[in-house]
Amino acid sequence: MDGPTLDWSLVWDSRQLLLDGLVVAVQVSATALALSVALGLVLALLRTSSTPLSWIAAGYINIFRGVPALVSVIWVYFGVSLAFGLTFTVFQAGVIALTLLYSAFLAEIFRSALSAVPPGLKEAGQALGLHPSRVFFSVTLPQAGKIALPNIGSMFIGMVKDTSTFTVIGLLEVVRVTQNLVSTTFQPFVLYTAAAAIYVLAAFVIDFGFRLVENLMTSPPQGRLARALRARKRARVERLIAAHSREPDEPLTPAAV
Amino acid sequence: MTTVTEPESVAAPFAASGVGRRVPIVSIEGLRKSFGSVEVLSGIDLDVHPGEHVVLLGPSGSGKSTVLRSINLLERPSAGSLVVDGREHATPRSSGLFAGAPRGTALQLRRTVGMVFQQFNLFGHLSALDNIVLPLRSVRRMSRRDAEERAAVELRRVGLIARAGHYPNQLSGGQQQRVAIARALALDPQVMLFDEPTSALDPELVGEVLRTMRLVAETGMTMIVVTHEIGFAREVGDLNVFLEHGKVVETGGREFYDECRSQRARDFLQAVR
Repeated sequence: MDGPTLDWSLVWDSRQLLLDGLVVAVQVSATALALSVALGLVLALLRTSSTPLSWIAAGYINIFRGVPALVSVIWVYFGVSLAFGLTFTVFQAGVIALTLLYSAFLAEIFRSALSAVPPGLKEAGQALGLHPSRVFFSVTLPQAGKIALPNIGSMFIGMVKDTSTFTVIGLLEVVRVTQNLVSTTFQPFVLYTAAAAIYVLAAFVIDFGFRLVENLMTSPPQGRLARALRARKRARVERLIAAHSREPDEPLTPAAV
Repeated sequence: MTTVTEPESVAAPFAASGVGRRVPIVSIEGLRKSFGSVEVLSGIDLDVHPGEHVVLLGPSGSGKSTVLRSINLLERPSAGSLVVDGREHATPRSSGLFAGAPRGTALQLRRTVGMVFQQFNLFGHLSALDNIVLPLRSVRRMSRRDAEERAAVELRRVGLIARAGHYPNQLSGGQQQRVAIARALALDPQVMLFDEPTSALDPELVGEVLRTMRLVAETGMTMIVVTHEIGFAREVGDLNVFLEHGKVVETGGREFYDECRSQRARDFLQAVR
């Protein structure tokens, strides 16, 4: 007896619809990532503060790290509408649902990254007379960001995959597109395998993108992109070095500038 | 003829009250510091005058680094008075030269006092040049162009202009410490604090940092130095302070290293020599 045939040509025929679904998933995830980074950082700071807000931040983090994405989006899309009369588009609901969950994860990533920055750097900033906010944004945060970046990349991949559950509210992401195609072609194995391949492909691309950013954040920045971005700065420093190297050696006298 | 005027200091009014006396730029009285139930400073008194080079000596745990860190409020004193450049930064005094001194903020204090750390503490994500540019722009409000020019001058002064574009992880420990000294000097501090600046260095790199510190001393900069480099201390120390268990055991001038009176200080100097 012949089993059902696998029509792999469907993948090629449906490529545009599937890629459109990926674009929607990435748009929702990227918007949510930007919001989650900001909210996660605030939560991490509150969590490590000695105010009562620390307990509120801890409660938020522990609750939302445990909530599944499917439940989160149902709360936002249907629950908020029922409870408060607020209505969101499916895109907005997806972004809010992901932000609620991933800001909790990112808060913990930032908390550990901030605590991994050597305390001596903060002290050096303070000892130089920098304002505390300048110490945070110009000294602590760049170092913590570098430490947190690989984990933020992993979170972003997780976000893109979690958009698959938003099929429940009708967001036209990869899985929703796949479901629609399956309902007319009856080729679930082929089409869901194609959907999985698209997620894997997206994960590779995101990983590559984050590695580029990591290279920019290494000391000194690495790679062709860094060289291109820093060309003007490098030229300026080389001019300074050349100009000052021509000056006679100056003993350590109070500077005249 | 150009008249050079000294920058106005809040210490100036106090100078009038002390006729014929030099006004200390740093004055510590009854300084105490506790961490929980452990008291690490048990009442330190110390006056440092402009241009003076003070060396703090003592065994590990004697409190010398805590004294230094208290002077720019990286450690908040538990009790006692700390007057820097005529401003009170701890408990106000009821009598003496600095009674009624105006209160100062931590930012004002730290913009008067520069500090060099044992572990250099350069910002790893910035080049040597940008380590100096950042505070110049933020504290001195300089334009990028002026700040870079000034930073280059400072790097030239410590002999590292060729390394301006290098990051800390591309520099040796000695070079990093010299950049750290240049970074602190760029802000024109009135007092420089050195917290064991050569203790984290390979022995062969100690010399270059001490050479730079000697040059800083020769400019007339007021310096307070915690060090175990007795040769250097003997050379620059106008006032030498020996601490143990959070108390000053003995102080002395240039003769201190040959003529210290307390047995404990003699034993210590013998051991580290």
